[in-house]
Amino acid sequence: MAIKWFYSFLKRYRARIFLGLLLTTLIAAFSIVNPYLSGILVDDVIQAGNYSLLPKLIACLLGITLLTSLLRFLYQVIFETTSQNVLYDMRGKVYRKLLEEDFNFYNKKRTGDLMSRQTGDMDAIRHFVSYIIYAVYQNILLFLFALLMIFTVNTRLALCMLVVLPFTAFSTFFQAKEVKPAFKRNRECFSSLNTFVQENVSGNRVVKAFAKEDYEIEKFEKENDKFRDAQIRASKVWMKYVPIFEILSYALTIVLMLYGGYMVIEEEITMGDLVKVNGYLWMLNMPLRMAGWWVNDIQNFATSVEKIYATYHEEPRVFSPRTGGIHERLKGDVEFRHVCYHADDEDIVSDISFQVKAGQTVGIIGSTGAGKSTLMNLLCRFYDTTSGEVLLDGVNVRDRDLYNMRDNIGMAMQDVFLFSDTIEGNIAYGRPDCTFEEVKQAAIMADANHFISALPDGYDTIVGERGVGLSGGQKQRISLARALLKNPSVLILDDTTSAVDMETESYIQQQLKTIKKDCTKFIIAYRISSIRDADLILVMDQGRIIEQGTHDSLVSANGYYAQAFRNQYGEIPYELMNPVQEGGM
Amino acid sequence: MARNRYDMDEVLEDSFDVNQLKRLGHYISPYKTKMLGIIVLMLTSSAATMLIPIFFQRIMDDYIPAKQMTAICLISALTLLVAIFSAVSLRIKIKHMSIIGQSIIHAIRSDIFCHLQELPFSYYDDRPHGKIQVRVVNYVNSLSDLLSNGIVNTITDLCNLFFIVIFMLICDVRLTLVCLCGLPLLAAVIVLIKKKQRRAWQIQSNKQSNLNAYIAESINGIRVTQSFVREKENNKIFNHLSSSYRQSWMHAVLFNFTMGPSVDIISAVTTSFIYVLGIQWILAPGDAMTVGKLIAFTAYIGRFWSPINTLAGFYNSLLTAISYLERIFETIDEPVLVKDAPGAVPMPPIHGEIEFRDVTFGYEEGQQILDHIHFRVRQGETYAIVGPTGAGKSTIVNLISRFYNVGSGQILIDGIDISSVTIHSLRSQMGVMMQDSFIFSGTIMDNIRYGNREATDEQVIEAAKTVCAHDFISQMEDGYDTEVNERGSRLSAGQRQLISFARALLADPKILILDEATSSIDTETELLLQKGLNRLLEERTSFIIAHRLSTIKNADCILYVDKGSILERGNHEELLAQKGEYYQLYMSQFDFLKKAV
Repeated sequence: MAIKWFYSFLKRYRARIFLGLLLTTLIAAFSIVNPYLSGILVDDVIQAGNYSLLPKLIACLLGITLLTSLLRFLYQVIFETTSQNVLYDMRGKVYRKLLEEDFNFYNKKRTGDLMSRQTGDMDAIRHFVSYIIYAVYQNILLFLFALLMIFTVNTRLALCMLVVLPFTAFSTFFQAKEVKPAFKRNRECFSSLNTFVQENVSGNRVVKAFAKEDYEIEKFEKENDKFRDAQIRASKVWMKYVPIFEILSYALTIVLMLYGGYMVIEEEITMGDLVKVNGYLWMLNMPLRMAGWWVNDIQNFATSVEKIYATYHEEPRVFSPRTGGIHERLKGDVEFRHVCYHADDEDIVSDISFQVKAGQTVGIIGSTGAGKSTLMNLLCRFYDTTSGEVLLDGVNVRDRDLYNMRDNIGMAMQDVFLFSDTIEGNIAYGRPDCTFEEVKQAAIMADANHFISALPDGYDTIVGERGVGLSGGQKQRISLARALLKNPSVLILDDTTSAVDMETESYIQQQLKTIKKDCTKFIIAYRISSIRDADLILVMDQGRIIEQGTHDSLVSANGYYAQAFRNQYGEIPYELMNPVQEGGM
Repeated sequence: MARNRYDMDEVLEDSFDVNQLKRLGHYISPYKTKMLGIIVLMLTSSAATMLIPIFFQRIMDDYIPAKQMTAICLISALTLLVAIFSAVSLRIKIKHMSIIGQSIIHAIRSDIFCHLQELPFSYYDDRPHGKIQVRVVNYVNSLSDLLSNGIVNTITDLCNLFFIVIFMLICDVRLTLVCLCGLPLLAAVIVLIKKKQRRAWQIQSNKQSNLNAYIAESINGIRVTQSFVREKENNKIFNHLSSSYRQSWMHAVLFNFTMGPSVDIISAVTTSFIYVLGIQWILAPGDAMTVGKLIAFTAYIGRFWSPINTLAGFYNSLLTAISYLERIFETIDEPVLVKDAPGAVPMPPIHGEIEFRDVTFGYEEGQQILDHIHFRVRQGETYAIVGPTGAGKSTIVNLISRFYNVGSGQILIDGIDISSVTIHSLRSQMGVMMQDSFIFSGTIMDNIRYGNREATDEQVIEAAKTVCAHDFISQMEDGYDTEVNERGSRLSAGQRQLISFARALLADPKILILDEATSSIDTETELLLQKGLNRLLEERTSFIIAHRLSTIKNADCILYVDKGSILERGNHEELLAQKGEYYQLYMSQFDFLKKAV
């Protein structure tokens, strides 16, 4: 299956590969001509003294070498280009697949592994297409040609030379079988090393904060050792087989010495014949000597293709029903109908039902890990519900064009991820073609313009990966501006203001209120102040909605929400709370 | 240096630095004797195989005309011996060279990794992480072939060449000289293309680095990409990077491809001359040249040019490797700004008295993030730092851990200047919880235990209970053995914060620094958490940066920081009474409530 998948990439370049192989064939043919000419040189010119042939022969030799070099250069370029094209296609395909994969995929895969597929494994494929294909083909061809030529000299001598073939076949077969698991282990160790380094680099702040450099080095050495040992163990396989091929290649020389010598003595062949056959011998030797290495390269390639294929062949579970690419603006009515979501036999959210009209604001509050973010992930269809339905404008999100739907939702995530790009680039992430004025406007709404303008490079400041170098609150505001710039029908603010101070927050809230009426807002927050004015407040605990209503009704219900309210404003004397309750009634 | 982005090439070195090869030699030198042994073995083996054409010549010249079959058998037996010897040498070479090559790579990788551990935050902040990673893993790997087989093959080939030239000289001096005439020609070709070839490979390594960085970032930022429907745009960028990688590769590899034909053509021309001259000399009366000699000589020509071909190949891979090597060494040479002072002593067990003496700090020259900060914390006190975002709050606490060196002034812990003690002994006594809670891939247990590797399972669970993480952890399918990863699969931001909180507590720090440590945790959990913490914090000095006033209200002292200076200090009541910035901040929290009332 994996090889078939690989072939689907190669197929496009069939004509080119064919041309390359044709040139390879030509060169193989020429390599036969040269020893043949040398044979004539020795037999007719040097020994028989027919010196008038010399200029012609030299001209031929030079001409053929020149042509061979040119053709070799050509087919090397052909195969190299093909391999780069195949790789380009494959990288692109794998990358597009990466972009399509759902959150389930990313929850299970480690970044370093995914990176290894795109780097180390791709390189094994490059080597195969750019070199192994023609090298093996050419050498098999040479072997056959040489054999054919020896057959024309003498059938029995040729048959004698064939003795090595079964041995070669056996060795190839066993080496291939034995080396495969070794390469698999190699690739796994490579992945694992890659993952470790990747996490160490990403987590460098934690490593330093805990002064765990020594521990990291210790763990790294383990990975480093494992990788080295895997490589050395693999080399033990070819250490066993490569010398066998070496001996097999010399076996041919010995056969020629013994049997060929015997035949010349018996005058069954001429001395010139012997020289000629000797000239062909390297063509038989070369493939034999290299066979062991090629078996390695081919198996290495096969392992990599399988690895890539195994990672990406599964279709994402969340996919768009239509590919038409529609662009319509949704109104923003949202309804959850008995929504449940399970992951790994664990209920993440269960039996969620609520309804919001376009333009309304929903506040979601609840304990850590209560399932608040999951609710929003289900709305964006990062996961599909296990049961129940999420409806957007009355249509199940599963039946909507995925990209159009997400395009209508602006989300500022809890875990702010910024790209190593300029601040402008980060804010305009969802709309790369928007004007600077729009970017600035969004930044103003998120109260980010102020601090951005104060930076030496302003909006052109490059922020590091994950926005390192910015404070938590600054990152949150950039992420908010990014979501606002989309001008979405549904705006989701997942704990977006937790790291900004109160004044900034109340400013942002004022700004949010000015957003056009046709934007439904979901605000997940821990601060009562963030959600107090919401049209609907959902209180979540352990994956369920335990209370819902408006601020006033929830305060009077005197449940979780009222408790949270008192915790956050506990300084206010209790008597003051009563008017609030009364006001609510 | 300005921050680097995925699509920016890193600066290229211009000159071919011999020092890089010398440094590489430093890694190779422990294996010198072993390699020498292998080279001697390989030379013996190739000298032995060189006998085979001589054997053949003897058979043709002497034994066949004399019809001596026994002699032919004897020679064949000798050839078999040579074959076995050559196979055994090959086996020994493969065995040892793979060990040596892998050990050298192992050492280089260790060095670059260990050095990376010492580099400051700014090194990591200034470039995409994918670019750092590609150096440690991919670039180092690409040296593997050069180091394992390349070096031995090259030296063997060079010696072979030497021997062959001797054989050729013995055979005929004049023809040898003709043959050697080809070498200066080849050298001219190499000189002609070297500069461009090297440049091309440098550019190629840059493009690879860019592509790698973009892939890494795409994977880590996938949630944002999908929610912002940026797939098409990213795909376009990726294709662009991928195609410039392809282009740079093709450009560089073309230079490599010119090497083979050059060798071929030069060898063909010299060979032709040899035939022509050889025959003329045979014809010349009284000349020492014979038919057999000429034939033998032509056999050597092949053996003369084949090592040169491999040497040319080695030269190509060397140029490729150099472009990676200089990136690797560049990383190893990156200066370590924060390091142990000469004669630094371990920090004695910390009691927890901290003093900032007139501390000034800027990340870059001329920049002033902190301006004459001065305060003193007594053992066991809790200090809260408040102020607008970007005021320098995190910077203050980062200086206590000595993540950066102060510009001027001093930071003292228990009266000891922290720049005079070893960094490890200082940081291992502090618990820092930062804004981003990073989760390593592994089990939850492993992640918490990161704070103290010696901790028992019970201690880990105890720490989790203290931070109120035990409940949700035990509800997970595999409890503490649940596998999580860097992107924090299935953990909410709050849960990740709790886990890293437990991690910090487990380290049993004498000084605890909480930098927005609870921002993603709900207020109820936070309240419970604080109760647990209060008990723990009694003996410890702690710093808390937070926006929630409920979190900081009970601190012994609150510092109000803005624009790098401490504007107000005092406890909650004192600051309220001052009716300054803190008062404003505090009152804004109740604006809402007043409205509600």
